[in-house]
Parts: sequence; structure tokens; C-alpha cells
Amino acid sequence: MQIPNVDSPSTPLLQLRGITKAFAGVQALKGVDFDLRAGEVHALMGENGAGKSTLMKIMFGVQPPDAGTIEVHGHGKVDIDDPRHALALGIGLVSQEPSLVPQLDVAQNIFLGQTEALNIVKRDQFQAKAREILKPLAPQLSVTTRVSSLGMAELQVVEIARTLARGAKIIGFDEPTSSLTPAERDGLFTLIRQLKSSGKGIIYISHRIPEVYAICDRITVLRDGKVVANRATVEVHPDELINLIAGRRLAEELQQQAKSDLRLDGPEALKLEGISAAGKLSEINLTIRSGEIFGLAGLVGSGRTELVRCIFGADRKDAGTIYVNGKTLNIQRPTDAIAAGIALIPEDRRKQALVPVMDVERNFGLANYGRYAPSGFLRLKQRRQDTERYIEEMAIRPRRAGVRIRNLSGGNQQKVIIARWLQSGARIFLFDEPTRGIDVGAKFEIHELMRRLAKDGCALLVISSELPEILALCDRVGIMREGRLVQTIEDCSGLTEDLLMKYASGEIARL
Amino acid sequence: MTDDRVPQVSDPAGATAAPSEKKVNLEWIRNVSVLAGAALLFIVFSVLSSSFYQPANLLDILLQSSINTMIAVGMTLVVMTRGIDLSVGSVVGLSSMIAASLLPQNLLLGIAAGMLVGVVCGLVNGLLIAKLKLPDFIVTLGMLSIYRGFALIYTDGKPIYGIDPIFRAIFAGDLAGIPTPVLLALAIAFLAFLLVRYTALGEQIIAVGGNEEAGRLSGINIDRVKICVYAISGLLASLAGFVLIGRVGAAEPIGGTGFELQAIGAAVIGGASLFGGEGNPLGSLIGALILGALQNGLTLLNVPSFWQLVATGVVVILAVFADQATRKRQ
Repeated sequence: MQIPNVDSPSTPLLQLRGITKAFAGVQALKGVDFDLRAGEVHALMGENGAGKSTLMKIMFGVQPPDAGTIEVHGHGKVDIDDPRHALALGIGLVSQEPSLVPQLDVAQNIFLGQTEALNIVKRDQFQAKAREILKPLAPQLSVTTRVSSLGMAELQVVEIARTLARGAKIIGFDEPTSSLTPAERDGLFTLIRQLKSSGKGIIYISHRIPEVYAICDRITVLRDGKVVANRATVEVHPDELINLIAGRRLAEELQQQAKSDLRLDGPEALKLEGISAAGKLSEINLTIRSGEIFGLAGLVGSGRTELVRCIFGADRKDAGTIYVNGKTLNIQRPTDAIAAGIALIPEDRRKQALVPVMDVERNFGLANYGRYAPSGFLRLKQRRQDTERYIEEMAIRPRRAGVRIRNLSGGNQQKVIIARWLQSGARIFLFDEPTRGIDVGAKFEIHELMRRLAKDGCALLVISSELPEILALCDRVGIMREGRLVQTIEDCSGLTEDLLMKYASGEIARL
Repeated sequence: MTDDRVPQVSDPAGATAAPSEKKVNLEWIRNVSVLAGAALLFIVFSVLSSSFYQPANLLDILLQSSINTMIAVGMTLVVMTRGIDLSVGSVVGLSSMIAASLLPQNLLLGIAAGMLVGVVCGLVNGLLIAKLKLPDFIVTLGMLSIYRGFALIYTDGKPIYGIDPIFRAIFAGDLAGIPTPVLLALAIAFLAFLLVRYTALGEQIIAVGGNEEAGRLSGINIDRVKICVYAISGLLASLAGFVLIGRVGAAEPIGGTGFELQAIGAAVIGGASLFGGEGNPLGSLIGALILGALQNGLTLLNVPSFWQLVATGVVVILAVFADQATRKRQ
């Protein structure tokens, strides 16, 4: 594919030429060129496995390239040894998973690495500085709060503030909005625009196409380790962008939001009565029928994750009754839920669902020892056969049961987790952000799978922060706010993201 | 769903071969360097001392390493769950004292009681760690002191002389020219290898060390797995205690002092990761042999035993350092 030439009015802050990397694991870069100018927001897009992360790692000094040159404005050609060195060159990264010190407060984390920030005498000074940095991002966040008491969204805000505090000229954002509320996201966008107008260069990695159109001036798309496009955002139509990313005609398929036939007449699969957990959930009542996909919308921290974890027995509930197929069930721990045919596909795959050191087959078998080792000894042949069957049926790549799961892309990992629960005979599926961090193509496949489960008569409870996902999948939607299920919507056709968010945040009382 | 919709992990040609081999390579390099280190050790000692490579001395190394191997196998399983058992040396002392005191009454009673003490010690460790969620390091460090205290209290600090000859024949005798401790150690290492490879418990051990939360949310009984590994560690420590008193011909309440470091060293040299999830009981056999050869060689070179302690410590720390360096790269 020809790379259209974009005129460059100013000297690039950062220029990568012919970057090649054969890197432990999956991705490889094959002669990638990338440049970033002062005062621009440059989107880096591509499916998982396209080479995005590898390129980021090279830019931020986590990995050296095998070949190619990196030129930083004012420093000439450089070899970036490690992230500290990158920072010294003015390159900072706001990573996907915040790496903060939970025991320290917000201000101390923002100035982490500067010993003076721990000095009691100068504390006020640093706190004032921290406050100033946080103002446009999260004015309500107190700089003296301990980081351990912060939620995911706030952690990310601190992480962003920390990079800013180090005065980076080039700032990379890796999926920065995946845990942010709309208000926080708007705050971030405002901030990015400010940074942009002050002459900084921003590299913006995101799967969310609307965001890229909202904030980015230029888009570079990677596919299979090569640059397939480097274009001004205004020149690319979203449909074309999806095609560039996925390399196939996916746009139409994504747009067809195949609504299933009304599925509200099946038997009651899961019924919740008065579920409460101190400080997290109060009086949740909910019924999901077999064959139904029920969506849970709401802000981060509204109690959605807490609810599914309570149902699954991962966290304690203080009051309430859970009925499965009409029978009361006393769920104390995950084992009880699993025995009743409930599966939890948690939001953080790597931390909550996978054992990275194990291969695909063992991760698949993790919830199935009852089947594959009834006597304690493993039936390896049977498990291998079953794994290979799921690999074929669900098109899991690479097509090998013996490959370590951490070498798979997010979408393929998620398929393995779903296969695990299918094999365990689960009939009630609790999906928490099922496609977070998963690329467009695989997202579609996961959605197909979920619809198929419902069609087979399973009951699905789906948490998602992406309204299009909820609209594409769900028959009914419940909205949670401050630990309560505040409304259930039967007909989602008139729902817009704006409306939903206003409601979820309490700005408007009723839809 | 058709294949062509699937996002390719990388280019089709590379995808099939590339993914895991690099990681395997890293482990391979690690394993090769352990073996290279062992070979170097062997060559250096053989050059410096002509008696080192004599078959009789090599058999001696095997024999001397057998106690550590038995303990290290249990330690490996504990370390694989991301735990640590510092109490093993004291369990050796306590269980061997109990066994020695009951042997005169009845051989089987002595053996059974000694093993039972080992298992119970391990169970207590495991229960405190799994059920009360106390840190493994502190629990087993406290138990190191408590079990040693019991061993000393039991006979008021006095050794027990005169170990039953049949007992000695079983745990410190010969079978077809091979010392029984060597056979016992090999059998234990092999059984533990089978446990890890072919049983649900073995895989669950890896899962607990590799990602406890994922294991819990998949329905694995984490507490049971943890309690099991500490119980196994206690049991193997008691068997090691039998070999110790069989060879010495007497039981001392301070027997087994310092064995925990040797065992941790053998486990880590053998590839067990203190970060959990990885390890191999057969590797700990190799690790124990390397440490055994080191001590044996230094003795032949007339290096004072105080310096041998220093050398052992250095090797153990080096092994942990190598482990950490390898994991970080990954």
C-alpha cells in the first residue's frame, strides 16, 4: 500500500526510520517509519499484534530496536537505553496500567523519584504544584489522598499528572480513556489540547475511533508490523479507517447491530433479590431470563463490577438472595457459583483470569479439573483434544494448544477464557467489559460468540462502558449509580451515549 | 465464523514458529548456564584435587546431597506456589527426635510417628498461612523457632543415642551397592515430578503461584493447595530427618539446623522461581547436587567449613539474582 505523503511544516520532535524488531513473543516490526511534530496529536492505531506496543516500547526505551534510527529533536540520533533515559530526552509515557506507589499520597506519586517531594518541610510546596497540575484534569482530587484508596480512573489521572510533572515534550498515551468517565475524558481532551497548543507532541494510542476523530490531527495505522497509512485525520473516513486497521471489510458487519428476536420469554435463569454489600451495593433486584442479554451501564465505580463479583461469590454480600433457575442458592465462594453453572469473565484478563506462565491448554482447563482429573490424575489426551476442538471452532490463533497464553492477543485470550467456561457447562455468563483492549476484528467475533450463547439459551449479564457495545448486544439495559440499579430500560432504541451518561452520573433524574 | 476474519497475531509465516520459542530459549539459556556452571565446578575441582572425580567420591556427593534433595523437593513445591518454608530444618530435628525416641518400642511406630509429626508441622504452617492469611515468611520463621524449641524441650536438650539397626539399614543402608538415601531421594524427586506433570494438584500449584486470583475465580481451592504443599514439605523434611539420624546413628535436637537455606538454594538453582509459578522437582535434584559438589570439593581442598558457609550463601544469592534477571526480561 502506498503511504500518502503528508507535508511537514515543522521539524519533527521525534523521527523513527526503518525500525525493525524481532521481539520475544508475537509482534515484529518490519521497517517502520514514524514521526511526531510539535503541536500535533498523532494517533497510532492497529489491531493487537500489529506492532503498536512494540513500537511504543522502542520509543520509550523499554526495548531496543534491532535496526533503524531514532532521532529526537535537539539530541540528534539516539539509542534510548531505558525509560529513564527516554524521560531525560523529554519522552514520557502514560501507561495503560498505572504504576504508582499505593502507600504514598497523590502529590508524592506525582513527584515520585524526586526525593525532595518526600521532605516534610517542602511538602506544601509540592502539594501546591501537584494541585496546579491536577486542576484541569481532576479538580476534585485531593493531593493528600493516599493512592491506595483511589479508583482505577483516578489512578490514571495521577499517572497522567506524573508524566506532565516531569516536563516531557513528547507524551505517549496508551489507551488513556479506557477507565475514564465522560467528564474525566473531556478533562483529558481539554488537557491534551492545552499541551498541543503549548507545542508538545502527543502520541495517542486508542482503539476508540470516535476519540481519535475528536482529538487527533494525524493517524498512523500499523498492520502486521508495517505502516499501512500515515494520513491527516480529516482525510480518512471512519469506515476506511476500520478497513485500514482490520484489513478487511468489517465496517458493514460492525454496523449491523444484529438484534435478536425478543428473548424475554425464557425461564428465569438468574434472579437477584435485595443484594446489598456495605458501601458498595444496596438493594439490587434483577431478573435475567435464559436467552437474554442484559446490559449494565454506569460509570466506573457505580457498583457494576462489585455486583457481578458478589453474584459470583468473589466478594461477600451482606444481604440478599440469589436464585438460579428458580432455586435459592447460597453462594459463599466462586466454587459455589461455578457448581451452579455461573461463569465470570472478569474485566482484567491478565490479573483475574489468566495464569500467564501456563499454556493455552492449561488455562482452558483451569475451571475444569473436575472433568479432566476426577481422580486427581490428569486426562491429558482428552483435554488436549477438547482444547484443539475449541481452537478450531472459535478460530483461536495461533492454532496451538501448547503456546503460552501470554503470547496471544487480547481477543484470543478472551476466547480461551470463554472456551474454559463453555467446557465447564456454565449457563449464566457474567461478562465484565468483555472487549476492553480488544481490537475491532476480534471484538466482532466476541460479540458473535456472546449472541450465540444467548441463542443457545444461556443468560448473559454484560457490563460495558461502551454504549455501542451495549446497544449492539443487549435486550435490556440496567443503569447503575452509586451502588443502586436506578433504572431498567426495555427499549434501547432512543438511547444515546450523552443521555445515558448524564443519567448515570445523576445529572438528570429520569430518562 | 471463518478463519479469515481472525486478526493475525503476526504474519502467517512467523506466527506458527515465533511466539513461544524465544521464551523457551531464555529458559533454555538459563538451564544451560546452570549445567555449564556445574560442569565448570566439576572441572575445576577435578583439576585441583585428584580424588574429586573418583567414583567413590562421586557416590559420596550423591549421598551427601540426598538429605538436601529430599527437603529441596518439598521446598520447590512451596516456592512454586509463591510461598517459602523456613521451618524445614526444625521439622527435621523435631520429627527425628520423636522417631528416635519411639524406635526402641516399635520400628513402625517410630517411623509413623516421625512422619506424622512432619505432616502435622506442615499442616500447621499451611493452615496459618492459608486460613489466617499470615505472611508465609513470618509464619515459617516463627515455626522454625517453635519446632526447634519443642525438639529441645522433648529431651531437655539431650541427644538420643542408639538408633535401631533395621531403621538404619532402611534409611542409611545399601541396596545393590547404592546407598538407600540416594535411591530414596531420586524416588522422591521423580514422584514430585510426576505430581507436577500429571495431577490436578500439580497444575493447581503452578496456578496458585502463577496467578492466585485467576485460580480462585476459576474455582480452585487455593487454601487446600497451599496447605497441601506445606504438608508435603513437612513430610519430606521428616524423611530427611530419618536419613540424618540413620547416618549419624543418633538423634540430636539441633539436627537439621540451617537446612532451609540449603534447600532454598537447591530449589532456586534448580529453576524454581521465587516469583511463583515455575519450578521443577527434578531441577532441585540438580541444584542439590551442585551445592553438594561445591561443599565436597571445598572440603577436599581443605577449605575450612566456615568458608564453606560463605560459599554456599554466595551461590544461593547468585542463583536468586539470575532468577530475577531472567524473569525481568520476560
